[in-house]
Amino acid sequence: MPWSNANCCKASPLARPRADPFGTLAYLKTSESRFKQQFFKRRIQINDIKVIYQAVLDGDAAASKEGVTAALKEGLAADTIMQEGLIAAMSEVGRMFEEGVYFVPEMLNAARAMKAELEPLKPLLALSGIKTTGRVVIGTVKGDLHDIGKNLVGMMLEGAGFEVTDLGADVTPEKFVEVVRQRKPQLVAMSALLTTTVASMGNTIQMLKDTGVREQVKVIIAGAPLTQEYADKSGADGYSPDASSATRLVKSLIEA
Amino acid sequence: MTKKPVMTSRERILAAIDHHEPDALPVDLGATPSSGISAIAYYNLKKHLGMDGGTQVYDVVQQVAQPEDAILDRFGIDVVDIGRIFNDRPEDWYDFTLPQGMTVQFPTWFHPRQLADKGWDVVDKDGTRIAYMPYGATFFDQTCFPYLDGYPANFKELPYWMGKVHWSGLVHSPWDHASEPDFWQQLRQRAIGLRQSSARALVVVAGCNLFEWGTFLRRMDNFLMDLASDQDSVERLLDALMEQHLQTLEKVCAAVGDLADILRFGDDLGTDQGPFMAPKTYQKLFKPRHTQLTEYVHKHSQMKTFLHSCGSIYKLLPDLIEAGYDVINPVQITSRNMEPEKLKQEFGKDITFWGGGADTRHILNSATPEQVKDHVRHNIEILSPGGGFVFNTVHNILSDVPPQNVIAMFEAVDEYR
Repeated sequence: MPWSNANCCKASPLARPRADPFGTLAYLKTSESRFKQQFFKRRIQINDIKVIYQAVLDGDAAASKEGVTAALKEGLAADTIMQEGLIAAMSEVGRMFEEGVYFVPEMLNAARAMKAELEPLKPLLALSGIKTTGRVVIGTVKGDLHDIGKNLVGMMLEGAGFEVTDLGADVTPEKFVEVVRQRKPQLVAMSALLTTTVASMGNTIQMLKDTGVREQVKVIIAGAPLTQEYADKSGADGYSPDASSATRLVKSLIEA
Repeated sequence: MTKKPVMTSRERILAAIDHHEPDALPVDLGATPSSGISAIAYYNLKKHLGMDGGTQVYDVVQQVAQPEDAILDRFGIDVVDIGRIFNDRPEDWYDFTLPQGMTVQFPTWFHPRQLADKGWDVVDKDGTRIAYMPYGATFFDQTCFPYLDGYPANFKELPYWMGKVHWSGLVHSPWDHASEPDFWQQLRQRAIGLRQSSARALVVVAGCNLFEWGTFLRRMDNFLMDLASDQDSVERLLDALMEQHLQTLEKVCAAVGDLADILRFGDDLGTDQGPFMAPKTYQKLFKPRHTQLTEYVHKHSQMKTFLHSCGSIYKLLPDLIEAGYDVINPVQITSRNMEPEKLKQEFGKDITFWGGGADTRHILNSATPEQVKDHVRHNIEILSPGGGFVFNTVHNILSDVPPQNVIAMFEAVDEYR
């Protein structure tokens, strides 16, 4: 470490032996130590955040988990780590994907590294009473087993601070409705990869209306065969073409 | 505008691939497992046309039909899959009633089981479940991912594990006969018969996928992550796959290299928004190996090389052309950067587009017949000048496509023949 106390104290005039009848120098030395300790501590903390941030960008799950452990030891608050490490990093990952710098392999690795960081933080975030950005329920619709896109969206939403309930694949309209009534999320996200299962999305939205809960949630749909046009026709509140823009869409709908 | 043809179907297809505008628009329906028609749509089409005969589901994974000669003649199809030379007796098929109600024919070796959840599955001879079709779905999903938990120390058992992937375990003809002791002799003899009796071009479907085999063995999400975080393991696997594929190509070229016109490789490389991987990842891991595969075929046979690769592959096209592919399919025109105008302008002289003729997600499925015709005419007029185009839909015609739209599509196609 370039800023270790040992190196700096050697250069300090206060380190040289002097007469100190009133304890003034002793007092100053302690203050200086305290100041230096706080200064160095903050530098270490900034460095820890940088390590965590970079580990997510590099998709390095091992480094990111170690980074979080070290940061917590240095006294960084779980919420700070979440905001400045994970959320900032995943936002950058999303931006790089949308700009065509990152592709799906890099996104998946970053999301995996982020998830590795999130595990030790979750209980601490819950304890400290930090509110999540929002609650989202996500699933792939009935008849469709495809889930990678859905998983990526779920991970990116977690990386943005949302609490995500993932219902998996082949989810019936009834199941979506049941979970909406139980967990009262702000948003439901439905995924489909097959043109032949897309109709299930319209059915689910209709069932949310019929059971009187449609007004309580926003609904977004995503997946390769979907379009803004289908979203509008089926009564969804939004559509997005990829995981990164889906995260921004969810934020904008929940904050609205 | 129906003109008297001056070329045979085979000549027409080969002229297009050589970038000469042929006498008429060349057309494919069903010469590959990704350029045909779902069994349900085929059944409905024949019923609408009042045609007799069955619906042979030659690719049981995707539930895709093998078009009969009567349909090929009716729509003037110029090319066929060599696989149709097998399973050519009535006893090779049996009747099966689909959940949707229509009776089709499955190959006699294919026996899916109905489950309590009303879905269907398939187990192999070891009892491993290798495929599952949920209730309401129209094709079988892969269920066994042999290297899900990690790469093996060596790849001695690779062929065994590849057999547990449904694309291999439930493979379509001719490969469903590949384990027979005289398969390669049979393949050659029957192909000679087909060559002599048919004026159509012939495609042999050889697979030799690299990226896709990685996804089949590791599961797609794991293999995608490996591309970025464990390239050493990826390279080891690809080398082992190449050993298999080159052995396959050696036998295929020896058996039918002087009879078939086109060898179809497969390797889906695109999503709707862009390639699965960065171009530099493709260049490092796949391009040298793809090049080796195409070079082998060009050197050891008369066949043209055809790559099936779904999705937005615009950013990879320069590399795919350099890797030696003569033809690209299905030309997914609705995905990003894959507009027909752009593709024809930038790559039209360098590669033949086999597909891109009609969108199969929205237009063929739910537009009116007139809208279908306008769409088809638009795409033909952009893609066909100067050759380098074989008309085909963007991948298989799906189960929800009404027969009127299929007919409208071919009526529009006829205006260019």
